[in-house]
Amino acid sequence: MTAAAEAPTRIAVIGIGNVLLGDDGFGPCVVALLQAGWEFPDNVTLVDAGTPGLGLVTFLDGCDVAVLVDAVGATGRPGELRLYRGEDLRNLPTKPRVSPHDPAVQEALSIVELGGRGPRAVRLFGVIPESHELGAGLSPPVRAAATATAVRVVEELTKFGAILTPRPEPRALEAWWMADPLKTASCA
Amino acid sequence: MARITIDPITRIEGHLRIDAVVDGGEVQKAWASCSMWRGIETILLGRDPREAWLYTQRFCGVCTTVHAMASVRAVEDALHLEVPLNAQYIRNLILIAHALHDHIVHFYHLSALDFVDVTTIPKADPAKAASIAQSLSDWPGNSRQEMERVQKKIVALLQSGQLGIFTNGYWGHPAMKLPPEVNLLAVAHYLQALEFQRKANQVVGILGGKTPHIQNLAVGGVMNAINLDSLATLNMDRLYMIKDLFDEVIPFVQQVYFPDCCAIAGFYPEWFGIGAGVKNYLAVPDLPTDTASTTFDIPGGTIFDGDLAGVKRISGSGDEYFRKGVVEDVTHGWYRGRGAQHPWQGETVPEYTDFQDDGKYTWVKAPRFEGKPMQVGPLASVLVGYALGHELTRKWTDLALERVAAIAQRKVTPDLLHSTMGRYGARAIRAAMLSDMAIRHWELLVNNVTKGDSSVYNAPHFPKDSIEGVGLHEAPRGTLSHWVVVKDGVIANYQAVVPTTWNASPRDERGVPGPYEASLLKNPVADPEKPLEILRTVHSFDPCLACACHTLDVEGKTIATVKVL
Repeated sequence: MTAAAEAPTRIAVIGIGNVLLGDDGFGPCVVALLQAGWEFPDNVTLVDAGTPGLGLVTFLDGCDVAVLVDAVGATGRPGELRLYRGEDLRNLPTKPRVSPHDPAVQEALSIVELGGRGPRAVRLFGVIPESHELGAGLSPPVRAAATATAVRVVEELTKFGAILTPRPEPRALEAWWMADPLKTASCA
Repeated sequence: MARITIDPITRIEGHLRIDAVVDGGEVQKAWASCSMWRGIETILLGRDPREAWLYTQRFCGVCTTVHAMASVRAVEDALHLEVPLNAQYIRNLILIAHALHDHIVHFYHLSALDFVDVTTIPKADPAKAASIAQSLSDWPGNSRQEMERVQKKIVALLQSGQLGIFTNGYWGHPAMKLPPEVNLLAVAHYLQALEFQRKANQVVGILGGKTPHIQNLAVGGVMNAINLDSLATLNMDRLYMIKDLFDEVIPFVQQVYFPDCCAIAGFYPEWFGIGAGVKNYLAVPDLPTDTASTTFDIPGGTIFDGDLAGVKRISGSGDEYFRKGVVEDVTHGWYRGRGAQHPWQGETVPEYTDFQDDGKYTWVKAPRFEGKPMQVGPLASVLVGYALGHELTRKWTDLALERVAAIAQRKVTPDLLHSTMGRYGARAIRAAMLSDMAIRHWELLVNNVTKGDSSVYNAPHFPKDSIEGVGLHEAPRGTLSHWVVVKDGVIANYQAVVPTTWNASPRDERGVPGPYEASLLKNPVADPEKPLEILRTVHSFDPCLACACHTLDVEGKTIATVKVL
């Protein structure tokens, strides 16, 4: 066995989406749920990547396993969860790139692979959104799916040898946009 | 005559759409449209102004940092709140590192393939590619072995038929002109660039606590505790980590990105004659060097009709020339009403119609300065700096023109910068200039800290009455301004006038087109089915609409990509 093979698998769990646009914030919400509920070993990094476009390259670069969590445009009921693998994503048609914002999962994967630093396994947990209206917070079916997805991600990580321990006391959810209270500054 | 619509939208997300009428191989008329509502600011109404930056940095996934920065600056401006020197320097280092990351990614990963034909690489002679690369700079990644390694990789990729990232290129297009060796060295640097954009971003992460979405900002300063002897704070170790990262990124910018951009410009001199469009420019000053933000390391100002001699300086966010000059016109945007309003009075009430060529056709408002459309971005910043005699701008601009002239074998003067290629060149000039600034601001911070100053924050106090402020930032894509009205300690109005709003602006009440629209006029189009030349000009602005939504289209049901009617 080589030294490289003995090193622990580097795993990135990457939540993608805009938290100000309703169910598009699914990915970041799942990342926050994972952070609140489990303790992670050092070889697993959790990223709330927002809407990075090609910036996704930075998080995929050099990891062995990438687990992406995102909202997906697919036929089905809102809140339905789908699991995709690297091959599924690679076979999607690509489109002319006009803005750096355009979702760039396939392109980012291709770039890191060409650079020789791409993940050997890719999983994408995708939820079918109900609404992308402006506003913080998820619709009820997608919020329920987020809780279920966090558990599914933990199971998936186990298959790659990453053992996560549930926190005895879950931490507060670090997702300020979910609570969405209108706080005001005190006036002098 | 053909009408081309370039529209990457799927069923859900909405982004930039370009429509162009092509006749006689040239664009005769163009429209720029954003197909998604930009009224994201309304989410801020009634909120705590101290927390606005957390929301604004989620406007846009690519430029999170810049919206955070403009937001705290807007509230500080409204309060006349000064910011400790350390906080200014830390913010400046974040802004510089973010911009370097962003410019590297734009050049190599978002736009180079508009000029670089990957499919010619198997024909390249790696020894010749290495020798061309070595004639451009003494970068260690220019060896013959490196060129051979990359060529093998590309040959294998092309043979596999799974082109991945290269699937979408307009390969073999008549407008592709680089020799195979230059294509090879460009792709070698494209791959190397991955590492250096990541290193630049690491600086943002170290200072910002996290990237994307930095966590160290506050209205009144930053939250980086400084203690040179403590492990948990910004100490000497971390400061040297930042210095080491810059020491790796700077040579890449100056010895790879800058010469590559000059070389590509030299091989495509015709693009200095295409795409000028709106020759009014707006740039704001940035990298403040005092606590009250009245002195800056990068100047700002306006230029009208390409007249550099008539440049007018903008001194800072307090400058009435700027504060009073900006309005947003909604005549051709999907908003209620007609005509223009100042951002502090601005409202964002949607009124959707279909795409109407002569009516409303976009979610972007039309910002105007003293009634005129303005081009913003690195070109505006470089031209304003050049016109004002800014030393570093002059140094890098003159060097760029010299290098382009040597390759193109023709005289290249600053007025050629009013063009599509000028925008690419100006971005490389700005990156080189900022890379010089990185070390300067690192030294300013270290000197100030070692003098014993550890102050990073001044607490804000909000009055009961209504106050107004504007926060400026010369972002990678150009002038960004956030306009805030605070009443009784809560946000009463908030408008973000983002760089792409200026550049992707629609026509105004008088029918005057915005910079994208104007720059596409007379743009050549050899093949309407493959409008590569239109993409070159649009990409030269580095479009980024501040309304990102990510939902991935897994069924690939694109409504339209390139449609020729």
